[in-house]
Amino acid sequence: MLIYLRKRIVSSALPLVVVIVGVFALARMTGNPASLYLPLNATQQMRDDFTARNGLDQPLLVQMADYFGGVLRLDFGQSLRTGQDAAAMALRAFPATLQLAATTMVLAVLLALVVGCWAALKPNGIADRISSFVSMAAASIPDFWLAIVGIWVFAITLGWLPTSGVSGAGAWVLPIATLLLRPFGVLVQIVRGSMVSALSEPYIKLARSRGAGELRVVTHHALRNAAAPALTVAGDLTVGLVNGAVVVETIFGWPGIGKLMIDSILQRDFAVLQAAVLLTAVAIFALNILIDMGYALLDARVRPVTVKA
Amino acid sequence: MTSSSKPPFPALLKWPALASVAMLGLSGCSVANSDAGAASSNTVRVVLGQEPPTLEACESNLTSTGVVVRSNVTEPLIERNPQSGELEPKLATEWKATTDTEWTLKLREGVTFQDGTPFNAEAAAFTIERAVNSKLGCNVEGYVFGDADLAVKAVDATTLTVTTPEPDPILPLRLSFLEVVPTSTSATEKVREPIGTGPYKIEKWDAGQKITLSSWDGYWGDKPAYAKAEYQWRSESSVRAAMITSGEADVAMGLSPDDNIGGLGVDYPNNETVALRLDANEAPLNDIRVRQAINYALDKEGIVNSLYQGKHQVAAQLVPEGIVGHNAELKGWPFDLDKAKSLVAEAKAAGVDTSAQISLVVRSAQFPKITELAQVLQEQLSQAGLNVKLKMLETSQHLTYQVRPFADDEGAVALMTQHGNQAGDAAFTVDQYMLSTGAQSYFGTPEFDAMIKKADAASGEERKKDFEEIFAYQNDKVVQFAHISHQTGIIGKAKSVNYTPNSSSGDELRVSEMTPAN
Repeated sequence: MLIYLRKRIVSSALPLVVVIVGVFALARMTGNPASLYLPLNATQQMRDDFTARNGLDQPLLVQMADYFGGVLRLDFGQSLRTGQDAAAMALRAFPATLQLAATTMVLAVLLALVVGCWAALKPNGIADRISSFVSMAAASIPDFWLAIVGIWVFAITLGWLPTSGVSGAGAWVLPIATLLLRPFGVLVQIVRGSMVSALSEPYIKLARSRGAGELRVVTHHALRNAAAPALTVAGDLTVGLVNGAVVVETIFGWPGIGKLMIDSILQRDFAVLQAAVLLTAVAIFALNILIDMGYALLDARVRPVTVKA
Repeated sequence: MTSSSKPPFPALLKWPALASVAMLGLSGCSVANSDAGAASSNTVRVVLGQEPPTLEACESNLTSTGVVVRSNVTEPLIERNPQSGELEPKLATEWKATTDTEWTLKLREGVTFQDGTPFNAEAAAFTIERAVNSKLGCNVEGYVFGDADLAVKAVDATTLTVTTPEPDPILPLRLSFLEVVPTSTSATEKVREPIGTGPYKIEKWDAGQKITLSSWDGYWGDKPAYAKAEYQWRSESSVRAAMITSGEADVAMGLSPDDNIGGLGVDYPNNETVALRLDANEAPLNDIRVRQAINYALDKEGIVNSLYQGKHQVAAQLVPEGIVGHNAELKGWPFDLDKAKSLVAEAKAAGVDTSAQISLVVRSAQFPKITELAQVLQEQLSQAGLNVKLKMLETSQHLTYQVRPFADDEGAVALMTQHGNQAGDAAFTVDQYMLSTGAQSYFGTPEFDAMIKKADAASGEERKKDFEEIFAYQNDKVVQFAHISHQTGIIGKAKSVNYTPNSSSGDELRVSEMTPAN
């Protein structure tokens, strides 16, 4: 497994370099950000001073070499907007997103497993129809609309929850509920489909004929085999959330990496954008490796084989 | 296997369940570390549209910085009364022009900075040197002073002289933009959390979450009513409004008419003027009849009433009432579609290609309902017989059309601009927007340039009259602009707070002017 892990890490290095170069080049293609940071009536001398002060007057290759040198020293430069260390800004925002994404996905997976299994026990039964309707609706509702309606109902009308922010346990409910719905809806559909298929397999009939209880049949026999597709989809959904739940972070004032990246793009804050994208890319590569390892744990057929001499 | 050997909890669900508990625990830790932010009678809670990028005093002309720092943490030598437009003493008690190019200021005695050091002429001189003459690249330098350096001299502890390279009749107004900092402030680096002489000092900045100011016992003026001010920020104006409705905030900035805040919304003139800037270098806008037709084709009254609930004012010039140089005699162009059509037809008959495309360039989300406004303008100009294509751009792209050197486009450009008049003097408007070489001007004439230069150098009543003539001349002879409206801002205010916003509230929200309602 260690050899497998090492191979995956090495194979992730090249895409990571591509991401770094790509973000650097694309950001620079958007032009000089001087107009965004100087008053509209700034003189040409002031624009030239700004460009020189931030090293933007150097040839692109020199700027890129400086940037790569900085990355190797874990120095991502300073934010044009705030004057703060870019890496510190990204590292401060990332845990907020990670907490939100992880809590959301754990709850979504647990709920989807329960509801999906319940629906699959009797295909086309009442439970299946209800869960199918609910999951389709959940997967289809736009999150910005849900967030605004959630604030209106639970914060303004009922007064049960705060509208936004990160103060107090109640502040987590609406952001998580908003983020949860789509992954939940998608995963219920996947779990339900996989479970219907798994429950009709001969080994399930065999287990039942040997007297295994329904709960054990579902959780120990069918779900173990049906979980792999759900894990794959859950991984993709988690990557999407780790990448930044931009809408939720914007509406609820959640100080996460998605909002930071969008603000950095709009403000052409190159150093912060590069630091945030690199941090997120590393996290996503790590997540993909974890998903692959989880997949291997679930399914012996994809486990790496170590042949001893 | 018998039923008695069944695990108490399905094995496959064990890890997700444990992970869930761990994550919720982790969340709980984070939540436990957050201040619940409960309402307190001696704390006023303000919600802004964005987190200030910095609280650096020499960047306080930026709205997002100034709204927190100006006159709360730091103070200027001179301040402009937002109601009367008159300059009033703050850290300087009097000032006068001692020669054509030299101004002498007498400074207030008995003032100390929040670090305990005394305020004196040395600190005032340091502030000007740091913001205007250094290589820091302060925003206020570009906004107010340009390339010209100032010669500053602390004559004695309470006397300061400032010398300009050229006669500058509005130097005191320019100085009102400089927030004074002590000599201990770095002269080579910008400072995110400044020390000032204001009634509040910065207590804590939880980056990404909240800024807390607390009142400072050593303040030279009256003690403010609130002991603390807490600032949070939410991008969505509807959420800011909801925070007022739900009692989570006391004051919310930058609300939209659509935010449904009812009686908790307070209107105020925010000194912003919306207009179309017309590029006369390309057909069909190179013909003055077409530019006049655009002015006739726009139903300003209808726009103000239908989109902005009648709260904005129809504009006839780029500066609203209260700004030095505002011409009260100017009336907005009447809405006359027939006249607009006939002017377009006249231009066409004279050989102007009136079918050539005009790009209507608009910045997304620049102010409430801008998308709807852009669509209305496009439709109304089309009805006059013009070929208008709408381009909604993000800020950075929009700036390439707004500021010289202008972006090349496939044809003529009508750019929607929102001009801020916070500086208080028409010189800050016409130099940029009407000089033929102005940073935001497409064109001008030698005669018009001469009028502007003369007004810039004038003072007193002559200055006002000169600028009034410039605005009239723009409408009669140049027609670079189709003015739409002077805007009205909305502040959300809880019933628990007494506060009357004014035209500078968007840039300088003085907490000391707020009091608890009971």
